[in-house]
Amino acid sequence: MPIYAPTLPPAPDLRHGHPPAVVLMRFDLTRLWRQKIGRFFGFAFLAMLLWKIARIYVDHLLNTNQAFKPMQDFAKTILTQGAAFQADLLNPASYLLWFLVALVGGGLVARDTLYRVRPLMYAHPVAPRDYLLAKLGFASALPFVILLPFALLPWLMSLLLAGLNGPVWATAPLRLLPAMALSSVLMGSLAVGASSMASTPRAGIGWVLGLVLGAGTLASMIHHLTGFRAIDALNPVLLAEAWPQLLVGVDHPLVGWVPALVGSAAHIGLWTWIAAKRTKPSEAVI
Amino acid sequence: MIAFENLEVRYPATPVPALKGLSLRLERGIVGLLGPNGSGKSTLLKALLGLLTPSRGSGTVLGVPLGGAEAARLRARIGYMPEYDALIEDASAYEQVAFWGELSGLAPEAARDRAHEVLYFVGLDEARYRPVSGYSTGMRQRVKLAQALVHSPELIFLDEPTNGLDPDGRRRMLDLVLRVHAELGTGVILASHLLGDVERVADQLVILDQGQIKAAGSMAGLRKALARRVELRFLDPLDAAQETALEELGAVLEARNGLYDLELTEADPTAAFRWAQAQGATLVQVTPRHDRLDEVLLRALHEPTPAGGGGN
Repeated sequence: MPIYAPTLPPAPDLRHGHPPAVVLMRFDLTRLWRQKIGRFFGFAFLAMLLWKIARIYVDHLLNTNQAFKPMQDFAKTILTQGAAFQADLLNPASYLLWFLVALVGGGLVARDTLYRVRPLMYAHPVAPRDYLLAKLGFASALPFVILLPFALLPWLMSLLLAGLNGPVWATAPLRLLPAMALSSVLMGSLAVGASSMASTPRAGIGWVLGLVLGAGTLASMIHHLTGFRAIDALNPVLLAEAWPQLLVGVDHPLVGWVPALVGSAAHIGLWTWIAAKRTKPSEAVI
Repeated sequence: MIAFENLEVRYPATPVPALKGLSLRLERGIVGLLGPNGSGKSTLLKALLGLLTPSRGSGTVLGVPLGGAEAARLRARIGYMPEYDALIEDASAYEQVAFWGELSGLAPEAARDRAHEVLYFVGLDEARYRPVSGYSTGMRQRVKLAQALVHSPELIFLDEPTNGLDPDGRRRMLDLVLRVHAELGTGVILASHLLGDVERVADQLVILDQGQIKAAGSMAGLRKALARRVELRFLDPLDAAQETALEELGAVLEARNGLYDLELTEADPTAAFRWAQAQGATLVQVTPRHDRLDEVLLRALHEPTPAGGGGN
């Protein structure tokens, strides 16, 4: 038998809340916490990060300790150097990120569709643009935040150990951060667009993986059938891989500046448009 | 509380408007919104929430013009309890009520405090930390009511709040609806197919069909009209002149084999005997008709729509 309160006092002032997009993003973060996928991905990303940092330290030892001098030339032949080394700081974490984005982003919109809470959100002071902004913001911020230590920690360690002569350029973050931002928005928009087409989180994961792998396969087939190289810019994995390289000044073997720009704009525009169409209030059934 | 004038709402790419020139004025209270599926109840709620812009006509909700730039601010003053299960299954009642409170504009800490208060008010105090996926239907309905109340709205829309509830659950839910209005002073729009629910709690009634208002008015007025319904049985069938004269007593709703259904002009059945005496007819029986609301609803749905499709 339920016990009821004798009465309900009035609610506090409604003018002190956070913007709806912030509230939605915070709630998605709480949901992510509950998904308990952090252990596997946390371990994997940490291992990759330790490898990157270890490389900085090994490089420092090779350059400063005479005992390792004979190994220095050999190391230079097997380890990336210079600009390629800067671009490589974000790999292979960026490849693994696609799976994390699929797991998390695939359910971002689909879960709201499954539980039918989006129409109820729009019955609150939440505009469709708030909703879209929150989902895109969360799906893009997640890969960006995960990539952040990969760009900053090796750079910081390089500066501490070897100053401006270290293996990581002093200006590397200025080039890597925009590349990370572009890649993250690409991942986020694709995940949100794919999730908006799914009716369950699992289907959303399938949509993200299907679109990423499908676009890559299609691009590769067309490339090899027609010899049209620029079509590889359809492949979102290649685009995410190309941006750090292009911004640090290394030519990507498959994707140049123009195809990267066009491909990224097309992907971000298309998936954002689809997400906007699929989450507008007229889709809602009250 | 709500006023429309010639309100028309049209969905994109559909030739027929979903709401056809409604005129309506509702005072603060509990309004029962009745109508069959597809009658326009949901469209009306969407329009009231500011999610649909009227294609013609005008109206105000809580003094705010419909379809205006202030729709988002208006929604902060309205609570909405949907018919379907709009619950976040992987969250507890406490988490989601606090979330809806924050979306309505409460600060995070205030929303958390408020979630406790409102869940206690709806009788979910002890179960509030459990995920709603394990809740009974009655508990789920109360979580939906709690999210509609979390920000102290001036007006709430309840869409089929007793759906799927057993008689005891229905009674408890309707008691809560009455408390919401009586204790909090919140205006209530209750859309329901269960006419008994509307009859029990509503003080105003709107009957919608095919996007038009078939009938609207106060429940007290409706009950008064029902009290004037009588069935007269005469010994011999009335002649044509007597049948015409019968209109003096009130509106003749139905005539069959010496039986006449009337809605008397005055709530005094003895007037029928006086009329029969004056007409030289032998009145053998006067039976008060205790029509139920569903009969009124069905009759309203089969009657032609009044000009302008409006209520009072």
